[in-house]
Amino acid sequence: MSEHLNRVHYLKPEMLHQLDDLEMIAREVVEGLRVGSHRSPLRGFSTEFSHHRQYAPGDAIRDIDWRVYGRTSRYYTKLYEAETNYDCTILIDGSASMTYGSATVSKLEYAKYLAASLAYIVLKQRDSVGLSVFDSEVRAYLPPRSSMNLLVQLDRLLHEIKSEPRTTIAKQLHDIALMMKRRSVVVVISDFFADVNDIMSGLDHLRHDGHNVIVLHTLDPYELSFPFKGTWQFDGLEQEEPLTTQGERIREDYLRQFNRYREAFQTACGGSGIEYALVETSRPLDGVLSEFFHQREAMLSGSAIGGRT
Amino acid sequence: MTFLNPLLLIGALGLALPILAHLINRQQVQRTDWAAMQFLNRSIRVRSRQIRLRDLLLLLMRCLALLLLVIALARPATTGEGFAWLPGETRAGVVIAIDGSFSMQHRDGDASRFDRALELTRFIGERLQPGDLVSLVLLGGTHRVVLRNAAYDPARFAKAMEDLQPTPQVLDLESVPKHLAALVDEMDAIQKEVYLISDIQTRHWERTSVPLRESLVQLGHSAKVFLIPVSGSAENLAVTDLDFVSGFLRKDAVARYRATVNNFGESPASEVEIRCRVEGVQIDTKRIPMIAPGQSETVSLFVPFYNAGPKRISAEVTDASLAVDNVCRVVASVRERVSVLCFDGSGGDASRLIKAGLLARPTGAEDEGYSVRTVQWPAFPVGSLDAFDVIVLTDVPEITAEQAKKLLQFVRQGNSLVWFAGESVKAAAWNKLAEENSVPLLPAKLGQTVDTRDELGVGKPLAPTLPDHALTRPLASLPEDLLSETRFLRQIQVEPTDSSFPVLSLAGGGSPVLLEHSLGRGHVFLFTTSANNDWNNMALTPVFPMLMQQIVTHLTGREFEQPRFVGDALTLAYVDQPDANDAVFETPSEQTIAVPVRSHRNQYVALLERADEAGFYTAKVSVQAPGMPIAVNVDSKESDVSCLTATALSQVLQGTGIEVAANEVELDARINMVRTRRSSWRFFLVAALCLLIGESLLADRVLGRKTSPAKTASSSPTGEAT
Repeated sequence: MSEHLNRVHYLKPEMLHQLDDLEMIAREVVEGLRVGSHRSPLRGFSTEFSHHRQYAPGDAIRDIDWRVYGRTSRYYTKLYEAETNYDCTILIDGSASMTYGSATVSKLEYAKYLAASLAYIVLKQRDSVGLSVFDSEVRAYLPPRSSMNLLVQLDRLLHEIKSEPRTTIAKQLHDIALMMKRRSVVVVISDFFADVNDIMSGLDHLRHDGHNVIVLHTLDPYELSFPFKGTWQFDGLEQEEPLTTQGERIREDYLRQFNRYREAFQTACGGSGIEYALVETSRPLDGVLSEFFHQREAMLSGSAIGGRT
Repeated sequence: MTFLNPLLLIGALGLALPILAHLINRQQVQRTDWAAMQFLNRSIRVRSRQIRLRDLLLLLMRCLALLLLVIALARPATTGEGFAWLPGETRAGVVIAIDGSFSMQHRDGDASRFDRALELTRFIGERLQPGDLVSLVLLGGTHRVVLRNAAYDPARFAKAMEDLQPTPQVLDLESVPKHLAALVDEMDAIQKEVYLISDIQTRHWERTSVPLRESLVQLGHSAKVFLIPVSGSAENLAVTDLDFVSGFLRKDAVARYRATVNNFGESPASEVEIRCRVEGVQIDTKRIPMIAPGQSETVSLFVPFYNAGPKRISAEVTDASLAVDNVCRVVASVRERVSVLCFDGSGGDASRLIKAGLLARPTGAEDEGYSVRTVQWPAFPVGSLDAFDVIVLTDVPEITAEQAKKLLQFVRQGNSLVWFAGESVKAAAWNKLAEENSVPLLPAKLGQTVDTRDELGVGKPLAPTLPDHALTRPLASLPEDLLSETRFLRQIQVEPTDSSFPVLSLAGGGSPVLLEHSLGRGHVFLFTTSANNDWNNMALTPVFPMLMQQIVTHLTGREFEQPRFVGDALTLAYVDQPDANDAVFETPSEQTIAVPVRSHRNQYVALLERADEAGFYTAKVSVQAPGMPIAVNVDSKESDVSCLTATALSQVLQGTGIEVAANEVELDARINMVRTRRSSWRFFLVAALCLLIGESLLADRVLGRKTSPAKTASSSPTGEAT
């Protein structure tokens, strides 16, 4: 993994070439403001009406056209289409817990690679990218812009991050939501080691503000499998009390609690209309992105087909 | 608490291993930063503490199990109230030693001392538990271990006792403690006991040597030792000696034997009848009116020989108390005839005197069975010398190498040579001959002729160098003045060979007069003086005929005529290599023992290492060959069957730690008193095993349940966290 990432090192041409083939935003046919050749990822939030389609369970109630209902006694939902140049805001968790890495690349480093790659893809589509870094508070916020120069600022900002412990995540997300002027795609890269309710409180705020939220749950493979054997002292990165124990004996308990948390978080994201993707830092970055985009494309295609029927 | 194998307690140091492993394990704590601390929450922290406690418990259980195992292997033994709570069993290792010497056959009534010893052995056996270790040994000249460190089984023990019989041997008391100590050391028992059952003969125990006392004390350190006397009266008559005194061991001659009967008892023995048997036929009887207590009497037994060959002669008394020493045996090798050939280089004077001395008759007449032939040197028979038994060379100047070879062969075949010095003897020629032969014919290198007279011109008298030699024994019966009349004026100086020894010498520590050495099966006598009157006056005194006749009688005897004692080795020697590889010894109980024949110093010897029975053995060159009897007697030292009193025995054993149990009641009391040590090794072993099983189950419960998920994770490339 590390070799792969070193080879990639931010936006290496090989990786860019691979990402060119991924067709990340093949979702709806919305062209960006500058190019207009792509479907906007903000489908459903545009004010420009496109057409009706019969209501299907799962559609938002607010999109039901009550006037059509009054005439036809049938539920129809209004579909909007806007050729728009969408904004993508990448939120990176820069807290101390993100500095953990069982191999040479920590979660934070991996998050940096991931954010840079996403930004490049978006910028290459001539969309706008914004960036925010937070830990115990919002450390930086770059409003979305479509210049490739942003990547340089992104790189510098990411290098300047000094990890700080944090206790909550909701407050930082609330603050960021207030900073964002326009509805956009918000990609949150974090390990989300916090209370699920607390996390969801912040994410829901973004969601309620009309943002399309994507959660990239970035975890180290050791956090997923807990392969420790022998006597280990675990020093908390966020000022928790150290624990000395035998790894193999507590593994079962750990995994049970960890998986319970993950399932709860994933379920909560699903319930709030937040896309969830697990990113394991041992995996090659291009593979992760490729898989993520394929899944996303498939999911969006399904919705569109459904919309037409 | 004591330990049977205390050195094994060193194994307790092994306790350090699990502790060390635990500490090392604790020292080898690896550290890592960890982000997901929220999942190592309170319950896991509590569980970790529980795990540490369980680990500590497991460690304690392992250490305790190891300690118990070490204690079990060290074989703990406990005594006293303090350890009464500890389960254990009383286990004994017992060595029972029964005196099997022939004095134990002595009986005062119906039962012998040995029978009584067997009863006591059974009594001790009844107080053993099946599984106790027991050794049973029969003591004698050599000690026979009947049971060695065997688990006690009543049936097997009884069977072993059935085969026990006293031996005709003398007790070798000096070696008993060490032998018993070796048996004790072999025993892996917590309570070691030695029971020595003996008749406590006065001659053995009255004056114990310092080494014996020391070894008894050492034995007392190894085990609890009980001495159980089976004493009886001292009454015993024994024929202790049967000696050939005079006469001729040839056909149609009569020999006089002297039997010695000893009364070892405390009361006089009257009308003691001694019967003499030849080949089992009673030929003479003598009666001794009375033998005082502790005294011996001798009687002369006249034995006529009607034909040639080896004769088994015995002297026997009747004594019911101890039969084995009632008989004393001897073998006589009776020749068809005795022929003496005398070569004389002095001109005839010496040979005449020699012949007169040998025949001891004024007329010098010969009989059919005894011939003395004289020849003037240098005549020497061309043919074989086998017709002669003894050859005398007197004043012979020198002989040729061929003659020397012939004489050497003659002697080695079992015949004999007597050599006298004289004026004509050329010492240099004889010495040269001796140097040329690997085995010298004469027992000394010859030197110059010297004058042995004192300042007054008086020669030196004779003095026996070996008083017990067959030649000098009759001289002891001569009046002293008669012996001192024999004067020696001159003699030839000699340098004795390593294998020779002087029999007679000049008085006052002078040079030897008569030397003897053996060649093969024969003997050579060398007189350093002359046979005629030139150098001495010996021929004019009774000394000369006595000496000459004894020489011939002695030389015509055979080595196997000398009786042996039980325990001695028996030999059969050959000059020529026998056809059979094995010689055969038939025992008095008619058992046949084949013995290999080995080459030894120019002859062939079959050696039976031990004669275990008293009686007449028969040695044969092969199964079909005629046998030569060998008399084997018991050693009369054991015939003194008097026993120490209890008081004297207590004094003797003072300071040795050995206790005396005079009867069954005392023995029972001492066994009960001493057998208090309990062996608890089984308890410790079971406890250790239980702890180990408990520890394994607990470890399995603690570790097994927890490690199973880890096994599934072991397929991960990060099997070992770094």
